[in-house]
Amino acid sequence: MLHVSGLIRRFGGLLAVNEVDLAIRPGELLSVIGPNGAGKTTLFNLISGLDRPDAGRVVFEGRDITGLPPERLAGIGLARTFQHGRVFANLSVMDNVLIGGHTRLSAARPSLPGLGALAELLLALLRPASVRAEEAALRDEICDILALFGDRLLPRLDHPAHSLSYANRRRVEIARALAVRPRLLLLDEPTAGMNETETAEIQDIIAMLKARGQTILLIEHKLGMVMSLSDRVIVMDGGRTIAEGPPEQVRHDPAVIEAYLGHSATGDAAPVIEDAA
Amino acid sequence: MTWSTWLDYTVNGLVIGNIYALLAVGLALIFGVANLINFAHGSIYTVGAYVGWVCITQLHWPLAATVPAVLLASAVLGVGIERLALRPLHNASRIAPLLATIGISLVLDQITQLVFTPNPRALPSPLPDWRFQIGGGSVGTLDLLILAVGLGTAGALYSFLRFTKMGWAVRATAQDSDAAKQMGVDVNRVNMAVFAIASALGGLSGMLVGMYYNNIDPGMSFDATLKGVVAQIIGGMGNVPGAIAGSLLLGLIESYGIALFGTSYRNLFAFVLLIAILIWRPNGLFASARDLPPEPMTGSFLARGKPVRIPPRALIAIGALAALLPFAGSDYVLQTATNALLYGLLALSLTLVAGTVGMVSLGHAGLLAIGAYASALLAIELAIPVVVAIVLAGIVTAVIGTLLVFPAFRMRGHYVSIATLAIGQIVALVILNWNGLTRGPIGISGIPPLSIGNLPLYDAPQAYWFVLVVVVALALLQARILSSHLGRTWRALRDDDIAARSHGVALDRYKAMAFAFGGFGAGIGGAVTAHLYSYINHETFNAQISVLALTIAILGGLGNISGALLGSALLIGLPELFRGLAEYRMLIYGVALLLLIRLRPQGLLGTA
Amino acid sequence: MRDPVGHPAVTVPTRRTLLLGAGLAALTHGTARAADPVLLGVSGPLTGPAAQYGAQWKKGFDLALDEVNGGGGIKGRPLALQFEDSQNDPRQSVAIAQKFVGNPAIIAELGDFSSPASMAASPIYQRGKLVQFGFTNSHPDFTKGGDYMWSNSLSQSEQSPQLVTYAIKDLGLRRPAILHLNTDWGRTSKDLAVQTAKALGAEVVATEGYLPEERDFRSTLVRVRDAKPDGLILISYYADGALIARQTRVAGITQPIVAMGSVYSPKFIELGAEAVEGVYTQSNFFPDEPRAEVQDFVRRFRARYNEEPDAFNAYAYDTILLLAAVLRQFGTTRQDVHDGLARIKDVPSVIFGRVAFDTATRRVAGANTANMQVKGGKFVAWDGKPAIPRT
Repeated sequence: MLHVSGLIRRFGGLLAVNEVDLAIRPGELLSVIGPNGAGKTTLFNLISGLDRPDAGRVVFEGRDITGLPPERLAGIGLARTFQHGRVFANLSVMDNVLIGGHTRLSAARPSLPGLGALAELLLALLRPASVRAEEAALRDEICDILALFGDRLLPRLDHPAHSLSYANRRRVEIARALAVRPRLLLLDEPTAGMNETETAEIQDIIAMLKARGQTILLIEHKLGMVMSLSDRVIVMDGGRTIAEGPPEQVRHDPAVIEAYLGHSATGDAAPVIEDAA
Repeated sequence: MTWSTWLDYTVNGLVIGNIYALLAVGLALIFGVANLINFAHGSIYTVGAYVGWVCITQLHWPLAATVPAVLLASAVLGVGIERLALRPLHNASRIAPLLATIGISLVLDQITQLVFTPNPRALPSPLPDWRFQIGGGSVGTLDLLILAVGLGTAGALYSFLRFTKMGWAVRATAQDSDAAKQMGVDVNRVNMAVFAIASALGGLSGMLVGMYYNNIDPGMSFDATLKGVVAQIIGGMGNVPGAIAGSLLLGLIESYGIALFGTSYRNLFAFVLLIAILIWRPNGLFASARDLPPEPMTGSFLARGKPVRIPPRALIAIGALAALLPFAGSDYVLQTATNALLYGLLALSLTLVAGTVGMVSLGHAGLLAIGAYASALLAIELAIPVVVAIVLAGIVTAVIGTLLVFPAFRMRGHYVSIATLAIGQIVALVILNWNGLTRGPIGISGIPPLSIGNLPLYDAPQAYWFVLVVVVALALLQARILSSHLGRTWRALRDDDIAARSHGVALDRYKAMAFAFGGFGAGIGGAVTAHLYSYINHETFNAQISVLALTIAILGGLGNISGALLGSALLIGLPELFRGLAEYRMLIYGVALLLLIRLRPQGLLGTA
Repeated sequence: MRDPVGHPAVTVPTRRTLLLGAGLAALTHGTARAADPVLLGVSGPLTGPAAQYGAQWKKGFDLALDEVNGGGGIKGRPLALQFEDSQNDPRQSVAIAQKFVGNPAIIAELGDFSSPASMAASPIYQRGKLVQFGFTNSHPDFTKGGDYMWSNSLSQSEQSPQLVTYAIKDLGLRRPAILHLNTDWGRTSKDLAVQTAKALGAEVVATEGYLPEERDFRSTLVRVRDAKPDGLILISYYADGALIARQTRVAGITQPIVAMGSVYSPKFIELGAEAVEGVYTQSNFFPDEPRAEVQDFVRRFRARYNEEPDAFNAYAYDTILLLAAVLRQFGTTRQDVHDGLARIKDVPSVIFGRVAFDTATRRVAGANTANMQVKGGKFVAWDGKPAIPRT
């Protein structure tokens, strides 16, 4: 579904991403792991259009999407969450997730060349039945998505996102990405800062999504989660891919252990690879 | 044009650039440490000039005593500003300190004007007047002194920052104040020190420049700040050597611009250059173009808050009362109310753009000007009926306004504000210089009065009802649009444009929509004003109005429609009640802005 | 059309019933007691960027009021002013206009300072049939606003040609360069100046317009210098005029400077210092002019304020005396003022010889214009020598 080849990104003299290749098949869950500063989030940014690579290509479902701006990518089925969590602080939970569905509002957003924006403005004023129906349908769908999170979010539909707990904010972020109905979902450390219970909940949700056939690209530090969820794992260090393969294989790869041990002096992710919980 | 003349223009450019550099260095220092564009810098500059005036002409002190006095007074003022107005805002949104400095500059300028009167005063220089011939012209002792001060301060600052402990602390704080704090740096003291140094330099500059021209007046601050900010942006914000280079470059460009095109276009060059830099090299000319992408500034929004919900019945009741006002108030009251409603139109537009979409525009009065001129010209030159002309003017403003602000769509936080300020100035300058279309400074007189078809609306009540209907209609339209998917889409762009774009929200398209609608409303406001006044010129819609509109929008609650209308009723209506205090009007506006930002940034009715 | 005298002006927007309003109107209308002041409204800048001019007005007004009221007032009633601060802002001048029109005690209005502020309010005064008397605004279209717009300020169509005639015929300039304020006043004056120069056979080699806040003229002056003028004509106010004069030396310009009478003020000399020595100018008001009206005014002004009067003081003073004369001769209603202005003759004036209005233009013709120059740090009469010796 997604082919990344030879991706390079330089910042000044630093090679943040150094000739990375990656491929993911439909329905697969591929994890990207590695010490801090390995270039994982930069890689995500290059794929999701927030940054342009200096060299290399990104091909999604047969289309070359290298360097396309992010707003185009949601429309073709690519959605992501962010490393530090980015919700719209002053919008309610419902509104936050509704934004995820933005690209699917076709009645409200005519794609006429040139005058499309004007038409959208007029439709927002007039609100014919088709527009209202579409909005209502989207809201129903959002409620279904939120139901995946049990009663964490549904009772708080109208609460502004800034009033939510950290964990809830990250859940909203995931729900928002799901509202895109993405063909490929990129999750950047979705459980960062969460405790064990919260992490387990998220893990269950990701597992459920995978079971439904969602293709997922996941960055995570919690290796237990990585081991139990992933079909394949890629390990990055210093901008390069240093290992790739099924989780069990990667786990015992000496280069991987070296990378983690080598970084352990600076207090990075735990070098001990725990068994799946 | 001969070589020696080009030499003269070059020398002149460097001389004026020299003067800009004095200001730009102070601004760069403060920006470097506090990440703040200090709009009050020009006011400190002016205070310094007046302190110098008092010492030299009233107390008859020699220069050796005056300079320390000026330095001390300005430093104290700077520290006071930092301590009282800016430190408490440390955890507020990014835009809050910028607005606070605008409020401070209003207050300081007004106090200076009240104490010293607006009359320009001579500030004679006690230095001997030696002149040195260069090319066709000459430079004198003050030119050299200013150059020496500029270079000397830059050199001293450089050494200070590199070689002293406090200097290291300043640089650490500039890089990352949280990390610096953790390393034991007293960030508060660093901020105070920097403000003291920058302000001392600013005050000294004011005195020197005042002596240079033998002319000081309270109005010198606005221009000084503006040119200093432009120079700073050209050179790279926070970059002291860059500020000097940027200032010299600005001076040269102005000088060559005058050489090639004439004096009237002078400021136009400065502002167009500013916009160009903001678009293509926002880090300034001396930084590399493709630096690490900056950590996105989320939430340029002013304050979190829930809008106070006014029940529909109450709104209808207020509307009915407003409609009945002509039966109870005199023409004078109605005139004031009409005035307030016209400001309300501008505030509605600005609250959409600044509040809902998060682009804090400091040049919104430019939209009024476009609308006013469009309607006046359509009615006069093409004999279009007034109501039609007004609507057309709204559309023209929507189109032109959106195109003009388009370069600023991708900018963030204070860059947007500066860009829109510059765009507002550019609009005024174009109107001033495009004699063929706008009749230049002569303005347009004889604009047909408001009329519906053939029925002229001469009376105060008729005009009032007309404007009331327009305002209510636009407010309702705006409310309807905000309750659609556009409302949440705009707010999403405001809160986090990266995340919004990642979910398919095309930034340019939606910001354009917001400016189109806002431009339409503001354009209509300007058009109606033109027909009410019967005479307009390039000064009718000036920067002060932009600042006032922003204060109104903040007072009501950014993004809040009822708030915008309440704000204009209060800020325009109340001063009419206290005409005796008219002398203090601008002072009160400045204080109001400061208090709002400090104590109630969400405004009276809450942000929306 | 609503009757503006229907009920008293309110400064507090509280509700008043029509009944109460009508009742009060019935009580007060037409029962002006002898000691009631005759009230003139003044719309002008007391604060804001033009406040200095409002302050100058006040000095002139107060001096004139003392004289009028010391001489019995208007048939026993004192003459008084209600000065409202417009900040020279059209928005406020318009509101003030409504206020004045709605207040039956006010029988004429003076002001505003600038043309935009004045002209924006004209429609209201015209419809309210209240005379709007402009005495320092000089836009040529001001009095075209209606037959209630009157002015004794010298229009540029007189001032400009007079200055240029002085420069060319008297002082001998043949190739002047003109620097002018880029405002409505400056532009119109400049256009008229160019016209007059051509008619007199001179060639204007350069014109440069600048903004009022401008302080740096170095490059402008280089540009002017390159056109090789034989003299500079300044259409400026005193502050910018002084700045320009100071910077001419620096730009290597030694040619003579002839400045419009708008620079005529002690501040021109204060701000320009040694650089304005030798500048030529004109004035409609010259303190050393031997005429009795002038000497009287100057003496009393000096005695009261301990400073030299300038043209703004003089115009304000003149205007009060003019209106007092009209009120005394023709009556104290609004209509009386309107009709009286058309008929009044021979009013003694500091600025003019004798004042009478041209009813077609509603302006005063024939101001005295004295040719002057700056010598020894003071304004003195022109010594008669041309600036450029005739060859």
